[in-house]
Amino acid sequence: MTSIRRDILIGLVCLALAVALPFAMPGRYVITQSTLFFIWAIVVVQWNLVLGIGGIFSLAQMALFATGAYATAMLGFYWKVPMLAAIPMAGVITVAVGMLIGLACLRLRGPYVALLTLAIAQVMYVLIVNDTDCFTTTGGCMPLFGGVRGIGQFGDIGLRALFPSKWYVAHYYVGLALLAVAVTISIIVIRGPLGLAFRALRDNPGYAMSRGISRFKYQLWIFAVSAFFTGIAGGFYAIHFRVVGPTVFSFSTLLFLIAMIVIGGLGSIWGPLLGAAVLMLADEGMRELSDYRNIGLGLLLAVFVIAWPNGLNGWLQRSRASRN
Amino acid sequence: MDVLIQIVASGLTLGAMYAVATIGLSLVYGSLNMLNMAHGAILTLGGYICYAAIVHAGLHPALALLAAAFVCALVGLMIYFSAALPLLRAENFETNIFIATIGIGSVIENLMLKGFGPYPIPQPLAVDGQVVIGNVHIPLQNVFILGVAIVLMVGVAILLQRTSAGRAIRATSMNREAAQLMGVRVGRIYAQVLALSGALAAVSGIMISSIATLTPVMGGDPMLKAFIVCVVAGLGNVYGAVVAAIALGLLEAATQYVLGVRWSFATLLLLVILVLIWRPYGLFGKQQVVRL
Amino acid sequence: MAEATLEIVDASAGYAGRIVLDAIKLSARKGELTAIVGPNGHGKSTLLKAISGLVPVTSGEIYLDGLRIDRLRPDQIVERGVIQVPQGDLLFPAMTVHENLLMGAYANSDGLAERLDFVFTLLPKLKERRNQTAGTLSGGERRMCGIGRGLMAGGEVLMLDEPSLGLAPIVIEQIYEVIFNLRREGRTILLVEENAERIAEHADMIHLLDNGRIAWSGLGAELMARPEIVETYLGV
Repeated sequence: MTSIRRDILIGLVCLALAVALPFAMPGRYVITQSTLFFIWAIVVVQWNLVLGIGGIFSLAQMALFATGAYATAMLGFYWKVPMLAAIPMAGVITVAVGMLIGLACLRLRGPYVALLTLAIAQVMYVLIVNDTDCFTTTGGCMPLFGGVRGIGQFGDIGLRALFPSKWYVAHYYVGLALLAVAVTISIIVIRGPLGLAFRALRDNPGYAMSRGISRFKYQLWIFAVSAFFTGIAGGFYAIHFRVVGPTVFSFSTLLFLIAMIVIGGLGSIWGPLLGAAVLMLADEGMRELSDYRNIGLGLLLAVFVIAWPNGLNGWLQRSRASRN
Repeated sequence: MDVLIQIVASGLTLGAMYAVATIGLSLVYGSLNMLNMAHGAILTLGGYICYAAIVHAGLHPALALLAAAFVCALVGLMIYFSAALPLLRAENFETNIFIATIGIGSVIENLMLKGFGPYPIPQPLAVDGQVVIGNVHIPLQNVFILGVAIVLMVGVAILLQRTSAGRAIRATSMNREAAQLMGVRVGRIYAQVLALSGALAAVSGIMISSIATLTPVMGGDPMLKAFIVCVVAGLGNVYGAVVAAIALGLLEAATQYVLGVRWSFATLLLLVILVLIWRPYGLFGKQQVVRL
Repeated sequence: MAEATLEIVDASAGYAGRIVLDAIKLSARKGELTAIVGPNGHGKSTLLKAISGLVPVTSGEIYLDGLRIDRLRPDQIVERGVIQVPQGDLLFPAMTVHENLLMGAYANSDGLAERLDFVFTLLPKLKERRNQTAGTLSGGERRMCGIGRGLMAGGEVLMLDEPSLGLAPIVIEQIYEVIFNLRREGRTILLVEENAERIAEHADMIHLLDNGRIAWSGLGAELMARPEIVETYLGV
């Protein structure tokens, strides 16, 4: 079986299971948590493209996610843009912001990129949180970016009105659809010419560059693609929770997501998804131990990087290889 | 004039604290190519150990400072043996150690959160009184911080320039293989550098918490600024880092005065980005020639 | 005939599963100049790195004065007195010449002052440049500094990896003058060189390394009397 066929098969099986889930387990809690899983999975799958395939050590992914969420909320709040239009617009805005960050960072070497992107995210957070000047006073004082409290009341995609009692199931399917698209794009990138270019750059940089493969150009491309879907995920997050606040920048979310990628397997197609699923489930299972959540996450992250740098995906592949 | 004195005074204090926080980070990057993301947590830990040693154990402040430096040096050693040593044997060291230390930093930070709680605690290691220059009152604490920082920086400079161990550290960061051929046991150098960096982080954590307060997350901001200093100076360039740290402190004090606290960090970052576009390897950094 | 100081017995070595050296057998005898010649990319540098412990020896053994050294760390090997002057000098560019020389004596600082005098007498240029940063030296001076740094270790065996590489002919002559002088003084030298003709008459033993194997071994003067070998392996 070729790898692309196997990817399609795995994808379809997962999709079928996910479509069936609301019928098997109709409880509201399971459905909403799964929707959250879809959102994080989109971010992780796209971040994996940047980190694992593009080899760009960017920590700006949550800032891009926040850009998408804030853009969606602000378009709805200030200009009353309908959400169905606002979300794709937010995706485009995120791409623009992503390109700017990319232009500033991508000529630098790995560690510089990590530091600079982290600092950019931090600056965005500080600027939003410390903003106390009232931008409008409709419904109380409201800073431009909503300040500490964030932005609410910016509209909806209408599924809440359409299915008053089952809107969360509708959101579940929207999330699933977005994730399916994000994963498809990720497969196309990894197995397609872009992935090939990066493999060439990694395996034989001299030859690849002499054949006109410019690392900078391809990195900017992959940055843009992943920014788009990350922004869309941010927009969906905004309408799902009906409020966008500075908590999206929190370091513990960043830790949670990066742990998903590393534990699943950096650079692989299914690893990050697997890691997201495992960590979401583990998080659920240890809800009573929530005080120790970040300690556990930190330990898992360190232990996996040191002992199993290829993550669960690498482990699965090894065990399959040894069976054959 | 008074404003200028005020800005210079607080800028120098800030710069001195950043410099001490940065030296360790820069040394570690220089010799191991390792970005230690746990540096902020170690710095905070130093602040808390000093607090606990004075308040709970009743130690003399000077001893408490030493205790904090010692514990944080041990943490640095632990990071070497548990993370850096195994990762050095594998590929992608730079990326992997970065991720691993994010994890380790989170563990340390959250252990402090469990141990000391989320609420700000004042740092008991403080000096009362003030000096007056012109019409400006400068707390003695700031003078004290500046003094300790200068002593530490001179100490580190003597260590690096005048001792055989320091020369070995510099040699390792210039060329690992050549250092090995001189008989330098690089593993031991790495351990020493991480321990030294931990001790320096502890002292800077104590200084920072003495003019602000102790919280489990207080290390994040100075660490980020220390990183910025490293980036501006060129990663691994220790002396450049000291100059850049003091410049950054002065600049921060000035922007805080002119534009307000809110914009100072953003301005700094913008400046850093401009510097990096102009000189991608830092102001004092040299481009490494990548052989294909 | 003098006893063997450095003895390599069927040693193989390589990087990441690729064998670069295949069962090498040779020895460097006390007070002699032993040369390893051969085309580029055939394992000469790897051999020196393997002796220095920078590349793991996968099978076989290496002895210094009868004691096994191939399982030791690089710093332990230096401590035993096997000193390498690496290819391309690998000086510490931001250190002064003097500091570079001090680094040479890092593992063994007994009699530091005498050794420094010795190096400065042998290589007077270094004395002139002692406070200059190594990164600003000319190519020939850099090479001298590398050799001086190696001599500062006061080791038993001095290994030189292509000391003529990339230098102008007149500078090469100066460098070899220094090396041959060291040989006359009775130093044990293991020399890697691409150009066999340059050293043949001064070398006590020559080993020809081809594709990771010793293709020919013999006395220095012998090689030049065997044009067919020179032609086959060295393409002169």
